[in-house]
Amino acid sequence: MMSLLEAELKKDPACTTSLSNYLAKDHPDESKWADCVHCGMCLESCPTYEITGQEQHSPRGRVHLIKSVAEGRLSLNEQFMDPVFACLDCRACTTACPADVEVGGLIEEARGQIRQAMPLTGVKGAVSKVFLQGLFPHQNRLNKLGSLLRFYQKSGMQKVVRKSKLINIMPQHLVDMEAIMPEVKEPVRKKYKDVNVIKSKGETKREVAFLTGCVMDVMFSDINEASINVLTRNGNDVTIPKNQTCCGALHVHAGDRDMGRKLAKQNIEAFKDSDKVIVNAAGCGCALKEYPELFRDDPEWHEKAEEFSAKVEDISKHLYDTGYEIPKAELKTRITYHDACHLAHGQGIRQEPRDLLLNIPGVEMVHMPNSDRCCGSAGIYNITNPEMASAVLDNKMQNVPEDVEMISMGNPGCMLQMAMGVQKHGRTQKIVHTVQLLDWAYQKEDGKGER
Amino acid sequence: MAVKGIKTTDRHILNLANIVGDARSIIYHKEDLIAYDCDGFTLHRHLPKAVVFPNNTEDVAALVKYCSDHQLPFLARGAGTGLSGGAIPLNGEVIISLVKMKKLLSVDFENRRAVVQPGFVNLKLTNSISDKGYYYAPDPSSQYCCTIGGNVAENAGGAHCLKYGVTTNHILGLEVVLPNGEIIEIGANGIPDEPGYDLLGLLTGSEGTLGIVTKITVRILKNPESKKTVLAYFDKVEDGSQAVSDIVSAGIVPAALEMMDKTAIEGVEAAAFPVGHPKDIEAVLLIEVDGIEAGLDEQINQILDVCKNRNVREVRAAKDEAERGRWWANRKTGFGAMGAISPDYLVQDGVIPRSKLPEVLNKINKISEESGLRIANIFHAGDGNLHPLVLFDARIPGQSAKALEAGSACLQACADVGGTITGEHGVGIEKREEMRFVFTDEEIIAQTDIREVFNPDNLLNAGKLFPMPGRCVEIKRDLKEKETAITS
Repeated sequence: MMSLLEAELKKDPACTTSLSNYLAKDHPDESKWADCVHCGMCLESCPTYEITGQEQHSPRGRVHLIKSVAEGRLSLNEQFMDPVFACLDCRACTTACPADVEVGGLIEEARGQIRQAMPLTGVKGAVSKVFLQGLFPHQNRLNKLGSLLRFYQKSGMQKVVRKSKLINIMPQHLVDMEAIMPEVKEPVRKKYKDVNVIKSKGETKREVAFLTGCVMDVMFSDINEASINVLTRNGNDVTIPKNQTCCGALHVHAGDRDMGRKLAKQNIEAFKDSDKVIVNAAGCGCALKEYPELFRDDPEWHEKAEEFSAKVEDISKHLYDTGYEIPKAELKTRITYHDACHLAHGQGIRQEPRDLLLNIPGVEMVHMPNSDRCCGSAGIYNITNPEMASAVLDNKMQNVPEDVEMISMGNPGCMLQMAMGVQKHGRTQKIVHTVQLLDWAYQKEDGKGER
Repeated sequence: MAVKGIKTTDRHILNLANIVGDARSIIYHKEDLIAYDCDGFTLHRHLPKAVVFPNNTEDVAALVKYCSDHQLPFLARGAGTGLSGGAIPLNGEVIISLVKMKKLLSVDFENRRAVVQPGFVNLKLTNSISDKGYYYAPDPSSQYCCTIGGNVAENAGGAHCLKYGVTTNHILGLEVVLPNGEIIEIGANGIPDEPGYDLLGLLTGSEGTLGIVTKITVRILKNPESKKTVLAYFDKVEDGSQAVSDIVSAGIVPAALEMMDKTAIEGVEAAAFPVGHPKDIEAVLLIEVDGIEAGLDEQINQILDVCKNRNVREVRAAKDEAERGRWWANRKTGFGAMGAISPDYLVQDGVIPRSKLPEVLNKINKISEESGLRIANIFHAGDGNLHPLVLFDARIPGQSAKALEAGSACLQACADVGGTITGEHGVGIEKREEMRFVFTDEEIIAQTDIREVFNPDNLLNAGKLFPMPGRCVEIKRDLKEKETAITS
């Protein structure tokens, strides 16, 4: 408890800021927690509260702790770190909250403070450095890794590794991940390297710029390809600005806000001449839309970020809003839809992708209970907090209907995690991106692909 | 044998951990405990000694016995959404959190009852039985997350209690751990209205001062065949209040009859679930009727007529289930929504005769003017249950105290017109002193005497429900002196 002196000091408003234990710049925003009246409506929405039953692992508990550090009741230490980093940043609480408290923003800001006060060391630090600083922001390194993975899969080495049980020396959650690694194809940024504008197939109605994503383009280039097909089929000329980079979502989630700002600036510049920025990864889209948050203390860049974020749109919403051709070919499949957190909770996009899917002839959609419950992927959460991620995934899989062929969604992180869930729980479903299904329907209509 | 992963030398914590048998079932670091220093009532805060998470009744009994044997104060907590501070560890209690005991144990459709553990969330019961056409009636606004155990402790109400009654009308049996660790069952057969004293009635609403409920048998109801909902906007609060009285006088028993005033409307419209209420009206009524399809349209027409006679600006029925859902989400998140227009709020819970509504609302307006604090009103108008929400900013020195004063004045206003100080939120810490508005000292002592039968050492949730114990002792002493004076 606070000492008598502290209690006295607190009565003097001039002293409240000096009591704060957030010492670095860019600290958690008081106006965000001032909205929280501690009503508890967020509790049941939180996957980590569902699993632990403990309020320090609930949204209002975390907000309370973050506030307590600012009030000087708590210090910025290891014990505080645990609840703040165990948050999935899934934003389900933001949807549940009657007062629109931005819990996600507060968590990210608090993580920024923790990381500045206590830089990561040991294995976690090394992993974070390799992935977040050494890999994601560097397209050529990612491409090389992609080539390596392609070689690994194509050369037969994958088979050898799996057969020889070499894989057993990897930690279990990485083994699970290896097993569901998608087949790696050529990135679209490489493929369209020398093309300025990928022209619309029919009459050009507008020009849009496309964010390829960093990992997305290496691991899921077929989804990027499908996105470009679907866009060009619906009157969009597509450009792929050359200087674009990783969106920085994972860095901001991990508390590396400086790197986040650096990447944000590069993207804001890279898309300067575009009117519309189309994104097919919910996590990236949400991060781009929240760039202004990173520049709260920098009016010049804040304005630029505001301008930029207004241009960002998820591909499903863009198609829904601007109109798209309803495919004529029938796909004849039963699917279910998983709401990616950063699409449903982060961007409020729920109906648009469902509309796209339901308009494909022959697609029957089975309702998934709690479809907007996090799958546990949460950026690289499944690498940093494997145990919790796995428990969250198990809860998710219980809600996936048995009698469907495919699970559709709009985020690559979820796709990997759900694929892992399908494998772990002995299920058979294919994991697909919403635009992939649409693209398949178009292809079938054109007599190209038969599914 | 010490539990693996526990890092403390405190022998009580080591022993409590041993009872639950798992390092994840106890928290004791200050950083984690801060999340438990208050519940939905945030004006009092105190750190608990520890929070333990029992898995079953036997765990609860062993924890309680340990606390009792070692004279450690303790209390039970569910989701911590209570609005009167009933789960705040005022005395540095060991909190026994029941959230891990969250199973639906059985459902007996034939006899219309279900058995749940105390940590089971209210709305989950309805969700679990709705496919068979049943539901659990008490619906506090926090039903998305509050636990049925907590509902029993507070005798929770809700929007639809006007027609269906509050929690106590739906409890058929309880398993209770008494403050000495003994496990008892009341109404074990789940048969309503058993002979003998109504112990279920005594336990329900005892605010966690008589025992810890570990198993609950509740009544479940068949879904009404149909529901219809009407929204009415009034330019004058008086007209809205009169319409409420008229509807009830007309012989209609609505399932719910809710009202929000101008400030409340500003809050819900600025928050997460706006529905487009006009900003310049003084009152909105949300009226729901349910029952057999055949008679409902007639009732709705009657309600529309009543509203028109009372100068309603606009009145209409929900066009579909989606619209009905939006209206209710807007109303049910009303308290939390105040966060959108004020950093803090204090919600009061007075009850008044319906006919006094305009008078009390005027009085509340005056209290608001005098205190300089805005007061929003959201209330279950049908049963005269007012919820004045005092809006304040705890960061401004002196405002918290002012808010408490204003809240208390609102309750005085209710008591003055023959009402009472709480309808469904409980007394807790918040309204301890206000108990004097409605009870004499003798009446309060009669009640603490009952508590002493169950909870003689007052280790369980001390300092709640009745005026400060120190004062009670004084009163008792005074009374005894008086008695001796009289007899001599």
